[in-house]
Amino acid sequence: MHLIWEELRVALPMIWHGNPYLFSIIWFTLQVAAVATGLATLIGLPIGLLLALGRFPGRRFLRALANASLALPPVLVGAILYLLMTVQAPLGSLRLIWTREAVFIAQTILALPFVVALSAAAIEALPDGLLAQARLLGASRRQLCTLALREARIGVIAAIIAALGTALSEVAAVTILGGNIYGYDQTLASATLFEVNGGHYADAVAIAIVLIAMILILMCGLGVLQQQGGGIRLRFRSAT
Amino acid sequence: MGYVWDQIRGAIPLITHGNPYIMHLLWVSVRVALISTSAALVVGLPIGLALGLGRFRGRRALQILANASLALPPVVVGVGLLTLLLPQGAFGSLRIEFTLKAVYIAQAILALPYIVALTPAAIQALPPGLLAQARALGAGRVQLSIFALREAKIGLLAAVIAALGATISEIGAVVIVGGSFQGTDETLASALVDQFNYTGHDPVATAIAILLLAMILVLGGVLTVIQQRTGGIQLRFRAA
Repeated sequence: MHLIWEELRVALPMIWHGNPYLFSIIWFTLQVAAVATGLATLIGLPIGLLLALGRFPGRRFLRALANASLALPPVLVGAILYLLMTVQAPLGSLRLIWTREAVFIAQTILALPFVVALSAAAIEALPDGLLAQARLLGASRRQLCTLALREARIGVIAAIIAALGTALSEVAAVTILGGNIYGYDQTLASATLFEVNGGHYADAVAIAIVLIAMILILMCGLGVLQQQGGGIRLRFRSAT
Repeated sequence: MGYVWDQIRGAIPLITHGNPYIMHLLWVSVRVALISTSAALVVGLPIGLALGLGRFRGRRALQILANASLALPPVVVGVGLLTLLLPQGAFGSLRIEFTLKAVYIAQAILALPYIVALTPAAIQALPPGLLAQARALGAGRVQLSIFALREAKIGLLAAVIAALGATISEIGAVVIVGGSFQGTDETLASALVDQFNYTGHDPVATAIAILLLAMILVLGGVLTVIQQRTGGIQLRFRAA
């Protein structure tokens, strides 16, 4: 057991005393999470609304595709983006490979399926008559979208939290596209990998502790939401 | 697009002619997925049943915990496990650090949340009266468990497929506890990352990516077929 104590004895002071390297990683991870989740929400929410509310041919197929994209392995997304971004490739002239921008792009693409598929699912889970009634009462497309988002807000926020979770803990695409460059474009997750590869286990433990703390905070937020969700569902039930 | 085509054209013969390195990766990936998911099933199914059927204090809290464990970052699991498995660690005498056995254990730990969290979800999604009726008719604990599993079998299969998907495409823990030794404990996914880190992009990487995508597509196809059948079964319930 004493290995754990030894690692913790080195790791905890790193966190307490604010090791600058650790803080630069935390800062970049927060940036990645904010940028990727923000962009994914901006792009994904309209698509999710369209898939849940729209009535056009091929909607069911696109909906299945959105669900399937949740299972896309991040390594694969990384490999495909690399294939497009490397110097000889179609997007090679943009010089994105091994930059922070590439990390932002990769994490946005990985966060997108969560926002699209889960927000569509949240809207579809609304009580059957609700949106039909609004349509019947002559709600315009904009009004209908606002109503759907407001009613399904807990599911939509849960979708965004899930997107934040992947943006924080994903490592494969970040490593492939960012190159895992020390002190430049490392996230907490990819830096953990980096430190283990270098044999610096105490540093890896310190970074992993910070990462798990962030995930725990997110999960607490989700737990609180689910409690509220229960309350709201109860209200619906008693109203019918 | 010429570059992308060249890559794919170079990769296809590697797969069709059965390049031994790539075939070995495929074999390791299949073994890791099957062994880890089976282990997770053996451990997780009883826990999932207890959470889905049990009536004891703290059941809700445990279920929230099980749901939250789905968000466990693989790199954190990897670092935690490695700390236990290193020679100075608690289980260091087993000498399985940086071997395929360590990869099996890591992936089983990561597959476990899917089984534990999704089994109760599948059981709780059964028609409300079904299990109460079985209880009222005097079903014993074992009978009730078997009945619940049989009725919720489609949700359960979805959980197993989600676990298989995670064990195939995840890399964080595999790289950390396995050490990613070429030709021994690399999976398709972890080999793909190493291809980019050490050898640059070449047809081998593209071939690995194609195989990985194929495996995920097969799993997704099976899940879709099962879900189509779910629709049929729900209809039967409604008609009854």
